[in-house]
Amino acid sequence: MEKLRTFILNLYPTTKFFITLFLMITPLLLPGYLYSYLVPVLCLFIAMIAGKTKLFVDIVFKGLLSIVIMIFLLQAFFYPGDTILWTWKIFSIKQEGIDFSVQLTSKILAVGSAIVLFFQITKINDLARSLEILGVSPKATYVLSSALNIIPEMRMHLLRIMDAQKTRGVETEGNLRIRLKAFFPALTPLILSSFSSTDEKAITLESRAFTARTKKTSLHQLEKTKSDSVVRVLLLILFVFILIWRFFL
Amino acid sequence: MKGIKKDFTLFAILLIPIGVAINVVAGELVELLKVPLFLNQIGTMIVAMVAGPWVGAITGGVSKLIFGIFNPTQLAFMPVAMASGIVVGLLAKKGMTTKIWKVAITGFIVALVAILIATPTTVIVFGGASGTGSDALTAIVLASGKEIWTAVITQKIFIESIDKILSIFVAYMIVRKMSDQYLAKQNYGHFYINKKKAS
Repeated sequence: MEKLRTFILNLYPTTKFFITLFLMITPLLLPGYLYSYLVPVLCLFIAMIAGKTKLFVDIVFKGLLSIVIMIFLLQAFFYPGDTILWTWKIFSIKQEGIDFSVQLTSKILAVGSAIVLFFQITKINDLARSLEILGVSPKATYVLSSALNIIPEMRMHLLRIMDAQKTRGVETEGNLRIRLKAFFPALTPLILSSFSSTDEKAITLESRAFTARTKKTSLHQLEKTKSDSVVRVLLLILFVFILIWRFFL
Repeated sequence: MKGIKKDFTLFAILLIPIGVAINVVAGELVELLKVPLFLNQIGTMIVAMVAGPWVGAITGGVSKLIFGIFNPTQLAFMPVAMASGIVVGLLAKKGMTTKIWKVAITGFIVALVAILIATPTTVIVFGGASGTGSDALTAIVLASGKEIWTAVITQKIFIESIDKILSIFVAYMIVRKMSDQYLAKQNYGHFYINKKKAS
């Protein structure tokens, strides 16, 4: 188990991306919904091995479940069809609507959970570094990783500002108007102070030759291993096999 | 192409992560205060106003990517966020974000573009659902016998226009509060300096 875990987590970011891509594209290629519903289960399995079960389940439930339920409700009641399964006053659930929602939600769940899995097993810093190796400008990868680093810092800052405003007498609880009014005094200082910090950041980056047109070195080491090639070849074989099976047989 | 590259100065690039973080944190604040709106493109709009449409578009795109880590359905709405950035930026370049009444018009245009892009995405990709409370509105319109497209457009008109117009007003107020010295360093900051001296 431990071995499998390090195996998955130590894969090269692009290999992980290929796995995700495979899990995203094959449900769209294959007909029916059985396989598509298997993909989230497969993702859960991989997440379990990687030791990220809780986060994976949390995000899938929070992000995907509500939309899946809504699709079922909307489509079951309002999709045009004649095969009525159940009626209540003027509303009726139709077979066509259920079929349609099963199809649609299977694809959404498959693609969605593959994306969730990718971000759970890949560190953004690794991803950024592998993109750099692929030739993406360090400026672009800086934007990505720096955005992720700023968010927790800014969250803390926001809480501090809200506490300060509360002491001053700004109300944050009550009816909608009061809560909406609290939005502004909390957000303005946060935004203004974070924007004014760009000055120092620019100087810091400039002093480290951020914009110099030379080849950059990095302390962050990433290496492709044998398991990467194995996984890639396996994925390719599987994919070609599925393509042939789908379109030529 | 050259014009686009010219917009991406070091200063402008540094604005992108901050704009993204503002989008995320403002979105969370809205949830914390239990306000039934999104308001998660304020950062995009501020960046688009001071640093131009293309920097704004990237801010919108990266924000949706980050939102996507925690809620993958958000990734489908990346074009909406990018378009908001582009539209605000282009109009800001024409001086359309310097007075309150102009900001209101810009808000309407941004909302319109958002509705035009978000509606097909919602209908085709998500079968009309959005997974938020606003789906109740879609259901009501559907129950009155209208088609799914009409229902989703009605819902988007309500939600997006309130959301986008309110966002751009917040963005405008904040840009107005920035110091002249700071604005002067930005690509398109001069619009907001001249006005202050006139008033």
